[in-house]
Amino acid sequence: MQPYQEEYIDNLKEITSLTAHKRPEGQSFEEYYMRSLEDQALSERKLVRNMELLRDELFPELDRLPEADGSVLSDLQEFASKLLTYPDELDAGLFCQIRRALLSLMRLGRDRNGIIRELYWLGIGRNNLCNKLVGLELAESEKYMLKMRLCFAEAAAYLKYYDEIDSAETRGYILRSRANISLGQFKSPGEKIRLTKRTLQIMQDKAYQEKEPNLPWERFISMTHQQMTASISRSRTGIMSPEDIADVMESVYIVYHKMLQDMEEQKINPSCRSSFSYFSINYYCGLDTLDGLLTKMEMLMDSADDSDFSQDTMYGMISIPAFYCQYLQEHPEKLPMRTEYLENLYRRILRYVETFPESAGSESLFFYLRQLAHTFVETGNSITYGDFLQTLITRFAPDIYVHSYLVGKAASVLCGIIMEEEPSYFDDMDHIRSIRDPGEKRRKTEEYAMQCGIFHDVGKLNFTNLYSQMGRQWFEEEYEMSQLHTIVGRSRLYASPSTRLYAPAAHGHHAWYDGSRGYPESYRRLECPFRQMVDVIGLIDFLESMTSTEQLHRGPKKTFSDAVEEAVSLEGKRFSPLLTARLRDKEVAQRLEHTLTVSHREAYLRLYEREALPLTGTGRIPAPPG
Amino acid sequence: MRKQTRETGRNRRRYARLEKENIHLREALGTAQSANRAKSTFLSNMSHDIRTPMNAIMGMTSIGLSHIDEKARVQDCLLKIQTASTHLMSLVNDVLDMSRIDSGRMTISEEEFSLPDLVHDIAVIIRPQALQKNQSLILDIGEIYEEELVGDPLRLRQILVNIIGNAVKYTGENGRIRVSFSQHLCADNQAEGKDRVWLDFSCEDNGMGMSREFLKRIFVPFERVNNEATSKIEGTGLGMSIVKNLIDRMGGEIQVESEEGEGSCFRVTLLADVSRRDRKSPNLTAGATVLIAEALEHRSGKICGFLRECGLVPVVVTSGLTAVTWLTEAQYENRMPCAMLLGQKLEDTPSLELASHIRQLAGASFPILLVSETDWSQIEYRTTRAGINAFVPCPLFKSRLLETMSRLLNAGQEDSDKGIDGDYGGCHVLLVEDNELNQEIALELLSLIGVNVETADNGQEALELFEASDENYFDVIFMDIQMPVMNGYEAARRIRRLNRPDAGEVFIVAMTANAFVEDIRLSREAGMNDHISKPIDFEHLKEILSRQLKIRKS
Repeated sequence: MQPYQEEYIDNLKEITSLTAHKRPEGQSFEEYYMRSLEDQALSERKLVRNMELLRDELFPELDRLPEADGSVLSDLQEFASKLLTYPDELDAGLFCQIRRALLSLMRLGRDRNGIIRELYWLGIGRNNLCNKLVGLELAESEKYMLKMRLCFAEAAAYLKYYDEIDSAETRGYILRSRANISLGQFKSPGEKIRLTKRTLQIMQDKAYQEKEPNLPWERFISMTHQQMTASISRSRTGIMSPEDIADVMESVYIVYHKMLQDMEEQKINPSCRSSFSYFSINYYCGLDTLDGLLTKMEMLMDSADDSDFSQDTMYGMISIPAFYCQYLQEHPEKLPMRTEYLENLYRRILRYVETFPESAGSESLFFYLRQLAHTFVETGNSITYGDFLQTLITRFAPDIYVHSYLVGKAASVLCGIIMEEEPSYFDDMDHIRSIRDPGEKRRKTEEYAMQCGIFHDVGKLNFTNLYSQMGRQWFEEEYEMSQLHTIVGRSRLYASPSTRLYAPAAHGHHAWYDGSRGYPESYRRLECPFRQMVDVIGLIDFLESMTSTEQLHRGPKKTFSDAVEEAVSLEGKRFSPLLTARLRDKEVAQRLEHTLTVSHREAYLRLYEREALPLTGTGRIPAPPG
Repeated sequence: MRKQTRETGRNRRRYARLEKENIHLREALGTAQSANRAKSTFLSNMSHDIRTPMNAIMGMTSIGLSHIDEKARVQDCLLKIQTASTHLMSLVNDVLDMSRIDSGRMTISEEEFSLPDLVHDIAVIIRPQALQKNQSLILDIGEIYEEELVGDPLRLRQILVNIIGNAVKYTGENGRIRVSFSQHLCADNQAEGKDRVWLDFSCEDNGMGMSREFLKRIFVPFERVNNEATSKIEGTGLGMSIVKNLIDRMGGEIQVESEEGEGSCFRVTLLADVSRRDRKSPNLTAGATVLIAEALEHRSGKICGFLRECGLVPVVVTSGLTAVTWLTEAQYENRMPCAMLLGQKLEDTPSLELASHIRQLAGASFPILLVSETDWSQIEYRTTRAGINAFVPCPLFKSRLLETMSRLLNAGQEDSDKGIDGDYGGCHVLLVEDNELNQEIALELLSLIGVNVETADNGQEALELFEASDENYFDVIFMDIQMPVMNGYEAARRIRRLNRPDAGEVFIVAMTANAFVEDIRLSREAGMNDHISKPIDFEHLKEILSRQLKIRKS
């Protein structure tokens, strides 16, 4: 690799480490706060440096790609592979950008082997991006799934010319691409099963094997069988045909049944993942009842050792509970019998997450947590979904927590100012209009604004790689993907009664007042009874973001007064004139700026106190002052 | 005696004449009284019907004025005023039409018109209304013998929009409306030396339907179904009366079947003359393959039928994955189809994502046509960005499909005869690039397709070249960003600031490996129109050129 590439990778690792959660460990709050500010400043400097490296080194290199020699190309490939090293994905977006450039170059030179290789890797990069879309409806995510799948499909189409291709490496890419076509979500399990079945037939075909005996055929076949069994857990909607069931059962037998038998003979405990797949497949294929499956899942979850942070235990502690909750969501009649178990389960998971060592942080943990957040079931005595989400944010994305806290505080202040002048300003919202006492009404509105602020960015939990861990500016495609946080946030908050009221703020805080721009399209301001509050959150979110590290992902950071000036210039377009009118008042602007400054420290104090407190298992952080 | 007899006879005749005159007078009086009564009823109905929306307009105006600072409230008032005034306008139009019909001043013109155009116009008007109520609106085209007809397209459209509009109005949310157009041959299709066909139109819905009682009065002016369900639906009660009169005047027939609570079905049959205008028959090479990517069986079946009639060989795939596999193999085996028709629905793929991938896979010269119900004006930008060359609207007419294909393929053929991929002969491009090799590659590629290229090594040179050029000389400027002396942003800004009419219009494309959102924003802020990333994808570059030339020509 070239020196700039190594420096870029080192910077990314450092940014990830700097933005990760740091426990106080004997520090006073002052020390903790100062250290956090230093880390943030250093992380910003690294980000700026990374931009210099890309602009001065990488992009000119891509610019001159047609004249690049072999060593430049192999350095680029090595650099790209480091960006996507499992399990610590560093920069999937840049990986895709480099692979796309290489693909264009290969197409230009009509280099068949190169085209196939780059299609495969571009597909892999896109698969990583797709993994962030847990919790989205297929309609929202299928565009990304498809982009991935088309790359694999094009590379796999060369299978027909397998005999004419003399490179073992290229043949391997073709076969792996063929297998990867069935990655991701499908509209029905049948589609996925049929694609995987065809891959199995190809992998087991002696004609292919004999021509390239050095390829790891057994591994290919075993992984394809696993893919077949995974097709069920990832595609729960839709009904499987008898042929589908037979195909899956065959894979189950080959992969799991044999493995479980072997383990039993050797008196080794089977892994959580294998056992769950086996049990769930039995259920899906009609060999077990749902109650039977749930009981077996409880056994698996109970037997997971909560002091072990290996991949398999993580799966047993977080991912299996996610599936368990999904079954309960789909079959609410099973819930009453399991309420108590569920409540204890969540407490146990939170304790596990809270004790999770920093060094063990990985993409898998977060993937499982995203699954769990998506299938959360709220019961009478369980922790609330809001508390659960806050624990995840504070634990894994403290910068998002700080931003959300600041937005909540400043929104609360702005609401107070507005209500002093117009007590009925927020009366479009039923739960505010119904309050008679003016003082109580104002207090409840401010409280609501605070909670809307706290929760408005929960959707970003899916995309921490685009926010907390991002070590450069966004590419256009990433910017587009980041917009999905509004939809994910809305869908998460809306799913639970305790957070439903905050869903509009998550949904609409990037929409424009006049509807001409902004996102998402599904938010229709005039139809939303909470729009006055959504407007407030949108404005404060804008002011806070422009002055924070997040702005560096879009361009240079701005001062608060520049942000105010820009907001005012967007009066009647992006922002409600009723709000910008208040912002024109210098005293109001100063109050907001002061609130943001003071609250910044407060937010860190809350993070500090949360870490310093003994674990409660509730995940609850101290409530912010009203 | 004889004299007396003559007088008596004369008197009898006078008496009879008087009697007759009296009868006439009585009849005239009756007619006048009846007309007077009709006029009174008409005035009474009209004053009620006009006053209702007028009251709404006045009321909402006053509410809006009293809440002038609340944008949402004012907007709500304005939307209601818009609804009421639209209703008022249609009432006035209907009254004028009725008046013309009554006074015999309603004339039916005879002009040539295109049936596909008429149907597509109607679809554009009606689809958004149905979409608003989440209704399934199926526009079905049956057997069509003649697409170019002679008649009164304006009045025809009025008839059809009225009937389908009513179906949308009186069918609930998520309802179903099926509209069908077809033709049958006239037994005597050579009447008066003219070719003629019967135009059959039907509109069936599962809406609220009508009672048998009301069906008897459906064509009487001002008659409307009055019940709780219809009370909130705007209508003058004149529409069907006008429709009936127009159809009568066109020599056609209208039939209505309806069941209360079940739905209604309107059938209209009209005789139309066939236009004698010669149509250029599509020039398509028989035996050529066309790939159709469409999961809707009825649609792909229809397309296949049309293509086979022309001797083309259709191949249907129903998913994006199969399309990519099929094309990769075809490309490898040098048997690429002459075009791909991308349908509205695929089993696995949003169409635009597939188009975008295929454009990369198959290159810029490969024709991709979108066959869709969507309103083209709504999707044109996104589809052309995805690499789609042409659009065929649905409901699908044979002529539209074949003519669009013929135009696209023959443009390609003419160009390939000239040894180029597109007609770029008159195209002038300013290529601003500091890297010698990149400049050389781009120059060679652009020259290969006949583009006249001038080059500049930096922004300053580009600015000077542009300043020295004749007005509208350059069609496109491809501008590198990082260059010595003056960078691309600055050069674009300065070009836009020049005091010449084309300074604001010339199409400037940023050409850089920097693909961050900030770079794209900065290039837009500097006045650039588009952005392509490096290494330059030649297909993309050609696509921009071809799009730009098309716009300039139009």
